[in-house]
Amino acid sequence: MTTRRNFLRLASAMAAGGVIERHSADIASALEQATDGAKEVVWLQGQSCSGDSMSLLQGDYPSLSEVISDFRLNVTFHPTLMPSAGDDAIEAMSKQPDVLIVEGSIPTDLPTAATLGRRENGDPIPVQDWVEELAPKSRYVLTAGNCAAFGGLPAAKNRRQPNGMGENITGAKGLQFEGREKGGVLGEDFTSKAGLPVVNLAGCPTHPDYILLTLATVLNGHKPDLDRYNRPKPFFEDNIHDTCALRGYFDRGEFADKPGEEGCLLKVGCAGPWTYCDDSERLWNDGTSVCRNVGAPCIGCMEPEFWDRFSPFYEPVEQQNEVGVDVETAGAVAVGASVAGIGAHAGRKAMGYGDTEGEAPPVGDEDGESSAQTDEPTTED
Amino acid sequence: MPEIEIDPTTRIEGHHSTTLDVEDGTVTEAKSHMDMFRGIEVITLDHPPSDAPQITQMTCGVCFTCHRQTSILAIEDAAERAGVFSGVPKNARLLRDIMEGLFFVWNHAVHLFALAGPDYSDAVADTGFTRLNPAAVTEGDGGEGYQRALEVQRTVLQAFSEFGGRAPHPLTYAPGGTAVDPDADTIEQVRSKIKAVNEWLGPTDAVPEVLENVLDGQVEADYAQGLHDVVSILAAAKQAGADEFGEGPNRFYANGVFYGTGDDSLALPRGVYADGELRRPTKDDIVENLTEDVEYSWYTDDSGGRPWDEKPPEPDPEDSGAYSWGKAPRYNGRAMETGPLARLVSAEADPFDLRAELGGGSNESNTLNRLIARAQETLIVRDLLLDWIGELDPDGTYNAGWNDDFTADGVGLWEASRGALSHWVKVEDGKITNYQIVTPTLWNLGPRDENGNPSIFEGSVEGMSVASVSDPINVMRTIRSFDPCLACSVHVQSPDEEFETVVEPAQATPEGNTKL
Repeated sequence: MTTRRNFLRLASAMAAGGVIERHSADIASALEQATDGAKEVVWLQGQSCSGDSMSLLQGDYPSLSEVISDFRLNVTFHPTLMPSAGDDAIEAMSKQPDVLIVEGSIPTDLPTAATLGRRENGDPIPVQDWVEELAPKSRYVLTAGNCAAFGGLPAAKNRRQPNGMGENITGAKGLQFEGREKGGVLGEDFTSKAGLPVVNLAGCPTHPDYILLTLATVLNGHKPDLDRYNRPKPFFEDNIHDTCALRGYFDRGEFADKPGEEGCLLKVGCAGPWTYCDDSERLWNDGTSVCRNVGAPCIGCMEPEFWDRFSPFYEPVEQQNEVGVDVETAGAVAVGASVAGIGAHAGRKAMGYGDTEGEAPPVGDEDGESSAQTDEPTTED
Repeated sequence: MPEIEIDPTTRIEGHHSTTLDVEDGTVTEAKSHMDMFRGIEVITLDHPPSDAPQITQMTCGVCFTCHRQTSILAIEDAAERAGVFSGVPKNARLLRDIMEGLFFVWNHAVHLFALAGPDYSDAVADTGFTRLNPAAVTEGDGGEGYQRALEVQRTVLQAFSEFGGRAPHPLTYAPGGTAVDPDADTIEQVRSKIKAVNEWLGPTDAVPEVLENVLDGQVEADYAQGLHDVVSILAAAKQAGADEFGEGPNRFYANGVFYGTGDDSLALPRGVYADGELRRPTKDDIVENLTEDVEYSWYTDDSGGRPWDEKPPEPDPEDSGAYSWGKAPRYNGRAMETGPLARLVSAEADPFDLRAELGGGSNESNTLNRLIARAQETLIVRDLLLDWIGELDPDGTYNAGWNDDFTADGVGLWEASRGALSHWVKVEDGKITNYQIVTPTLWNLGPRDENGNPSIFEGSVEGMSVASVSDPINVMRTIRSFDPCLACSVHVQSPDEEFETVVEPAQATPEGNTKL
């Protein structure tokens, strides 16, 4: 039987590709609960690009294929995955699911900007109505991707505001956040039937493992340990800058001046110091690679408001005071200082950021004892 | 009029619905509704041009490379016109082509097997093609072709990610070239992954033999099982009469795609085919002839026009008579079909005469020919990819550098897997002052225009006979033949019948009926 410790451990930073292989039995046992129809999952799309759905499908775990297949059988509603269409599709949707997953933001000022199905009078039904109806009846509510979590791209600042359009063109919001502020469609105080707020699987897109492992966790009845943006801590604790494969360049003061050059990518816009997730180790597409490893500066896609905080995307972030990068972490200050010539470690120590000397990321060990935080969830049943 | 609805149409991406008026068993009017608005074009305003590829890429998590590429082409075009940029290094151009090509192969495979394929398998109708039946996988009795294709699609994206870092939403195309500067090992990794795909798909020149075998009723193949399955889809569609429904006006438009190893040519060339004649428009011709009409769109009446001159789209959700968040793009005032079929018509290519012999003619627009062209193009691009990879120089230059500070207009003309895509930008003093995106799905599934002329899809189902308004399977097959990048739904209105459901594959499917 799967224990909470198992899931917290497997969900923490580990060597690429190894997580699923080593814990396939745990995940299988969790997802099996969904295969016999005992657990129902509904996946809704608001203002979405379907990138998170596409990402989910890139999970490649051969030993799990049957389970995943069966699991998908019982996703009672997913607009791009489900076989049925039209009224059948709506009827098939569980009206009180065990897990509600939402992809895409909700246009609260222009509700018809994302609709699903029609009322008897023919009017399109706003996705917002579906979310408001289903969320309180759901045992768990998850968001897949930055848009549903925080508002994402549709909520990016409308700088020029042509035609009298507002700063947030459609009033796009996340389920329980508007950018970094709590609130959103469901309100700050919302909890699902299991007593949890909306669990935010951030990213643009989110990582397929985040979805599958979180589903496995909650289907096992465990409450994930969440950070201040209600992201599961095991995935969102690592700092990209600290775990980056290019970190050695930074420590040696070797910087790329333009994309495609060898070196740390800070000067070409890397948002790594302000961004938290474990994809430096987890990698993407079955452990193939990750943005920085192919020379692409991090755009901060795991963070709320990344569209505004880290633009212009090819300009150094710490020089962009006008776009609202506040000093959210001591790490950020450390980076700014070290770019100016102060050693990274000195900077980190001076700011009290972390207590290790090594550059190596805090890779979770097999016993899961390396991180006190992952063993003690903040929210207990 | 009693209403019969299908909402949403599934197995396509996004939010879309269609209303069909059916009288005496015939579709008398079709309206294609796009049900989502985000304002991404407006969000690009006042950003530096180099932000546009990043912002507009996230327009679509399915065409995740094509928007980034087309946006980069638009800003590079503007910078060239401003005299501050003189083109990307050949290696970068090749590398982008390779990634776009891998994307095409991935997207076409997924479309053929996971989206369109089930419509021609036992899942939907009694076709006898059990290898294509997703529903059979869990029963352990068939669906092997479907299942294997879904495994292979992941391998294709893994090859892609060697250069792209991740998929969807790779970040490695950069203004001026690419961010990635691949070494020989990475290139070899990609090559070996493509080799695995090739073992599945088999050699292109096996098509005639495989076709003959499939038409003879052969179920398994000793080799080239992927090709066997692709051809099976085409054979099943032929048996379903798909060459005789979903007919378009035989007007095609392709921006062209893939610079390849040539200097100024495109591997799949730009072309406009209408009235039986193929023309080669210049970029200026396209600028001159391309307009967007908003008569039936939820935007203010002055939101249309030529893309460079259009004002940012201004929503008007109460707009009387409007029924779509999409605009109606027109070429020289006419609706044009885009997609693999349009590209191959433009390329004057009909490999193995498949469209001529099965689809009623190489330049005939119908549901079967759209599928055939997608299969043909998969093979064409796969073969080109191997050439291009051989040309990559791991020691070459991959980025020419970039400077945002200029004033000019630019247009990027490119192709997504599902059809012609263009991005239009105006830059003043290093800031974007106007941005417009014209997508393939707008061309194929947009609304009608001020003259009442329907979009290609609307026109292709008007006049279609519908045996059962509760199950207009050929309407669904036709929608999906366009590989629309919008989750669709269909509403059928008929004087005789109440609302019912449409298109129901036998049962829920393993791996999902992925619309990718």
